[in-house]
Amino acid sequence: MARFVQSLLDGLGQGSIYALLALGVAVIFGVMHLLNFAHGELITVSGYVAYWGFLQGFSWTILVPLIVATAVITSVLIEQVAFRWVRGASDFTLLLTSFGVHFVVEALFLMYVSASVKSFDRPGWITDTIAIGPVTIETVDLLVIAATAITLGLTVLILQRTMFGLALRAAAEDFDAARLMGVRSDRVIRGAFALAGLLAGVAAVFWLMRAGQTTPGAGLTPMLKGVLAALIGGLGSLRGAVIGGFALGIAEVLLRQWLPGAVEGLTDGFVFVLIALLFIFRPQGLITVSHAERV
Amino acid sequence: MLEVDGLTTRYGSINALRNASLDVRAGEIVGLIGPNGAGKTTLINSIAGLLTPAAGRVAFGGTDVTGWAPDRMLRAGVALVPEHRRLFTDLTVVENLRIGGVTRPAGERERLLNEMVELFPVLKEKWTTSAGYLSGGEAQQLAIARALMTDPELLMMDEPSLGLAPILVDVVFDLIARLSADGKTLLVVEQNATRMLQVADRAYVLRSGEVVATGTGNELLGREDLFDTFVGGGPGPGGVGGVGDIDGIGGVGGVGSAH
Amino acid sequence: MGHSMRALTSLIPNLRRDLVFPTGGALVLFGLLVSGGLTYSALVGGSADKLITAMLIDAVMVVGLQIYIGNTGVLSFGHIGFGAIAGYAFAVFAIDPLQKSTVIFDAPWGLNEVQYSPLASGLIAVIVTVIVAIVVGLGLARSGAQSGAVAATVITLALLFVTHAVAVNWYELTGGDRAGLSFAVGATLQSRWPIYLTLALSLILARVFTRSRSGRLAQAAREDNLAARAMGIDPKVQQMIALLASVMVVAVAASLRVYNLGNITPRFFFFDYTLVTLVMLIVGGRNSVTGAMLGVVVMTAGRELTRRVAGDGYELFGLGLDGAPLDWLFREGLSDIFLGLAMLGFMIFRPRGLLNDWELDQWLYRRFAPTSGPGGDGDGTRVPAEAADATLTGSVQPMALLEATGLTVNFGGFRALDNASITVNQGEVVGLIGPNGAGKTTLVNVITGMVDHSSGRFRLTDNGNSVDLTSAPSYVIARTGLVRTFQNLRLFSDLTVEENVEAARLMALAHLRSDGRHAGGGAMSRLERMPSIDTLLRETELEAFRHRRAAELDYGNSRRLELARAAATGPRFILLDEPTSGMSDAESLTMVERVRRVADLIRAGVLVIDHDLAFITGICDRIYCLDQGAIIADGDPAEIQANEMVQAAYLGSAG
Repeated sequence: MARFVQSLLDGLGQGSIYALLALGVAVIFGVMHLLNFAHGELITVSGYVAYWGFLQGFSWTILVPLIVATAVITSVLIEQVAFRWVRGASDFTLLLTSFGVHFVVEALFLMYVSASVKSFDRPGWITDTIAIGPVTIETVDLLVIAATAITLGLTVLILQRTMFGLALRAAAEDFDAARLMGVRSDRVIRGAFALAGLLAGVAAVFWLMRAGQTTPGAGLTPMLKGVLAALIGGLGSLRGAVIGGFALGIAEVLLRQWLPGAVEGLTDGFVFVLIALLFIFRPQGLITVSHAERV
Repeated sequence: MLEVDGLTTRYGSINALRNASLDVRAGEIVGLIGPNGAGKTTLINSIAGLLTPAAGRVAFGGTDVTGWAPDRMLRAGVALVPEHRRLFTDLTVVENLRIGGVTRPAGERERLLNEMVELFPVLKEKWTTSAGYLSGGEAQQLAIARALMTDPELLMMDEPSLGLAPILVDVVFDLIARLSADGKTLLVVEQNATRMLQVADRAYVLRSGEVVATGTGNELLGREDLFDTFVGGGPGPGGVGGVGDIDGIGGVGGVGSAH
Repeated sequence: MGHSMRALTSLIPNLRRDLVFPTGGALVLFGLLVSGGLTYSALVGGSADKLITAMLIDAVMVVGLQIYIGNTGVLSFGHIGFGAIAGYAFAVFAIDPLQKSTVIFDAPWGLNEVQYSPLASGLIAVIVTVIVAIVVGLGLARSGAQSGAVAATVITLALLFVTHAVAVNWYELTGGDRAGLSFAVGATLQSRWPIYLTLALSLILARVFTRSRSGRLAQAAREDNLAARAMGIDPKVQQMIALLASVMVVAVAASLRVYNLGNITPRFFFFDYTLVTLVMLIVGGRNSVTGAMLGVVVMTAGRELTRRVAGDGYELFGLGLDGAPLDWLFREGLSDIFLGLAMLGFMIFRPRGLLNDWELDQWLYRRFAPTSGPGGDGDGTRVPAEAADATLTGSVQPMALLEATGLTVNFGGFRALDNASITVNQGEVVGLIGPNGAGKTTLVNVITGMVDHSSGRFRLTDNGNSVDLTSAPSYVIARTGLVRTFQNLRLFSDLTVEENVEAARLMALAHLRSDGRHAGGGAMSRLERMPSIDTLLRETELEAFRHRRAAELDYGNSRRLELARAAATGPRFILLDEPTSGMSDAESLTMVERVRRVADLIRAGVLVIDHDLAFITGICDRIYCLDQGAIIADGDPAEIQANEMVQAAYLGSAG
């Protein structure tokens, strides 16, 4: 039982980051119908900025806001440079465009920094643990869960209470109808990317704290996790994305624990197979967002 | 107030609207009637900016607004209650209304919200219900209220009575009359020609993408050939000949049929 | 002889156009690639050999991708994952045990002890990969894969990552992340002939597949899944065939790649190679084999140039300007950024690639194949006119009957259809009218299997054979002999007029032939009744636009093409959903004539929906009027026009 609680908490810690990434993916998918394969690049760019900050001797107190700001700015910038030109294009084009952005960003770091790993110091407390009875929890897990809770809470407030949030949700459901109400498409899309950037920024903080390093290809894994989590939840559903993130995190931790040692390395493989199976039996994901096809 | 001159709109290769002209003066109720597929929705969507016309000109309040995007048209003062209502079904009733007021300052938005409560008491009861759970009548009232939240100078409605039970059709037409009495200018697409003509100051009849008749509501109501104009022919299998006759009529005002 | 001929033409419609020219075109492409490569090698010297070899192998890989992505429109990130499976299978079987004993001495099933010839290993690789592809393909089908479907793309992406994770972690078999599997020095591919052979064959396969029945039906589903199903195509089957053909080529290409490089590690077949091959495919045009090959050449050249510029900078151009202003550009990583930017640039400015769907052999065919007037073109889909005429004089008794009884449909709380019943006899033209929102299209959607209904039954009787089609999938309904058109035009817009009609005909030939073998009678008579494609195009006045893309047609022509396409399936019944919407009155009139003529030609019953009473009364024997989901009147045109309920439904009651 204690072990189960332990894994659950680990899973929540892992899942928190996925949830933040997935929510960003879902927000962008909502307004643009773009499954953003470049979402992980926000973490890559933030990673290099963190590395730069580290070289300047900045402490994590400064690095944290720096990372978040970088993610927001990068997100909006990528939209302006690439995605705005393919608004309304086919899914095929959108998918490959984001795939292209992913590679361009990776190549830029390869070209102008280097292919090698760039390391920076992780915060000293990152390996600290707290024992509550038989359960040992990493401090960072608690911190991630708390920060995620706050960020998600804030996001809910933005989405529910602000006019921007309303406009975003309205546009996600019916873009034309939203424009008929006076919602400006430029602003709502840019806002969606900024919000996705903010969410990814918070995720990036913890991702980088744990990793303590970055490489040009560092965005691949977080992108994949975010995209998959958003899909698990059912693309287009914001709530689903968050649930999907936590589900993915917990599934990973539990699988890693229960798989025999010989195949433990295959955890990711098993997770992908599970996800593929989910899609095969529930193509619409866990949460159904149905829009009937007009004949 | 609104002048549409020679508007032509295509969907791909389809000429859904051919050289349509109309005008709406401040304070009027103008009806757009005609059979299914006549181009009414295309016309109203082209005015609202949902469709981009291939030719022709739309002017509002003296400004050329041809091809303006929907949000820009809205800011200029033209609102549309679109076909099939297109409510935001994931949003609650009050959120739908707030979105309607997105272009208004916060204070005015609240004032308009209160006005809507007075105008549509039924919505207040469903304030925090998702719009997807409203009945047809409630949904239609919400769609109209949402458009009114934009505080438009010209309110356009596309088939407000479609899919409503007869008693609710009454509610909608009463509302149209009431809004007009409050000084709103209205351009309404309607399939229910008889009812529309009863409330309209003037109306245009569309058929096959063209304006084929215009007049005051009563004038058009009095026209015996109205049904034939609608369905396009005289009785019996020989009716096809009638189509040929109509086809020969080009201008506004003259409506031919086989008799 | 007639039968075997027909069997062939149901696979390949026109021997010269769809077999001879594509094969020749494939060989010309092959010749261009190889001779271009050899010329470059000769000019630059031995250092270019490796580059050209790699390019030719990439070309095979891209052909493999094109067969699936081009024909189905499903974006796959997983083909390089199939490549990884094949590559490892090949390596494990082809590498000699001594070499293997240093890395995978404890491989499962004693695989470290085996060694087969490269050819046999390649075959094993293909078989293993195809088996995996069948499983993946079933999953894709289950997930509702169709052109542009995001879920399908993600499944393929998951496949790529699963194979990578397995390759990294199953080190007993794969040698893991670092070591990988290596051939002994000198045991690698020493001759280009296997590559030449594979490339030539895969190009031929790709071109012939594109022109074959499976290819055509897959393309039809790519253009419009719903319309394809409405014509009797089961897109899942066609996608599976395309997947297997494509994966076979990919498996061979991957084996060659490993054999040529002499080793394999997990990163050989992962994201980077996926990008490289996808960019090659889309730069040239994913819907064209010629384009794919152009993309291979352009991108290989571009990568080589950027790689060398990055390495040698100005010296490459003999300028020797070190530290010059472009140093920021001429550096490592340039070729990667070139790839990424090529992808972005093409997606933004030319998403369909340089050539779109232009094919060398089709261009040659149109230019050089002598056309001896309509029909004299070896049009194998034609059925002798006498056969068609003979059945026209047959029994006057209605042979087929369409019956729907008590159909009810609820959308949420809204009753779109309320206990509606209709019947249509073969040879009869029946109208269905009613105001906007009355439920006309819902009725058609129900009896074509596109909308579920709450209650009621629907059956089709043909030659005394009665089939209950309640809740049957739409493609089964279409095959039984009921096809439809769509209110908002659903043509296969990237295909030509002729290809649109041929797709329908190919489908019909295939299933009628197999039905005919089992049931005889009805199916064979339908087969014989089919007018030739030339006749259909002539009757719908589309001959002049034969080679025009459907998307380029104007509205009237598009409507007639929909009619021709529906008629080409040789149906018992055609449902026309608003065939005149958006037409002027004069156009509607000619449409009346057209519908009658075509219905007579194929002797089908017609159910036509329209709001236009003139059109309906001009064409119909009987008319049903729907209002608020219920049939409120039925009768002959005069009765309907005089009916007050009909008038009220149209004009609205005064209330």
